[in-house]
Amino acid sequence: MQIIEAQSDGVLIVEPHGRMDSTTAKPFGDRVVELIRTGSHHVLIDLRQVLYISSAGFRSLLIARKLIDEYKGNLVLCGMSPEIKRLFEIGHFTDLFMICGTREEGIDKAR
Amino acid sequence: MHCLEMQIRNRADDMSAIVSMVEGFGLKYRISATVINEINLCLDEVLSNIISYGYPENAEGEITVRLGYEPGRISAEILDDGTPFDPLQAGPPNLSGTAQTREVGGVGIYFVKQLMDDVAYRRVGNRNTLILRKKIPT
Repeated sequence: MQIIEAQSDGVLIVEPHGRMDSTTAKPFGDRVVELIRTGSHHVLIDLRQVLYISSAGFRSLLIARKLIDEYKGNLVLCGMSPEIKRLFEIGHFTDLFMICGTREEGIDKAR
Repeated sequence: MHCLEMQIRNRADDMSAIVSMVEGFGLKYRISATVINEINLCLDEVLSNIISYGYPENAEGEITVRLGYEPGRISAEILDDGTPFDPLQAGPPNLSGTAQTREVGGVGIYFVKQLMDDVAYRRVGNRNTLILRKKIPT
């Protein structure tokens, strides 16, 4: 899964492309963990190019969330399609993340 | 009904071939991307469980994924020759908790039950068979 990284206003924006499943979730999660551990404590994950997230993907997102809490940073998610939003709702993950609509809102919340 | 099937080994590396098969099937019969993504998500959950837990260490196995389509309906059947196991017998996952305490175990099969219209398990001969069915708006 391709991951595009960008910086804006002190926020690291991570944009994964494709499916977040049992094959791709671990490399994605490892990369986000590495970014957090090496100093990125304000992270926005833009999900606009993600087709779906399986339980492995949610596990990786939770790991990132727990880690950024240890650093007292901010992890925000944005860009969810209706299908992705539904998965968050089914799995009761909506309350566990700061979720925004647009990237601009997300950058603002993550700072 | 239009069918397509593929055999893979019980190896995580083989799962991407199934993803491609499902996408090709979806394009051929003009099934919406939303439905194809749901099928692929469910197959990811089922196959990764079989590959992770369905066989003794180092055992080689064969998993068959069989897709079916007719107007208004899609199905995916997963057959494996691993140890007898009915994934539908597990209790519901714990969906409560904070970001610190939340567990993800059991969520996979829960997604499958929520996204599909019907999920059924049978043991046939020496194989576990799980069949997923979904109605598709025409």
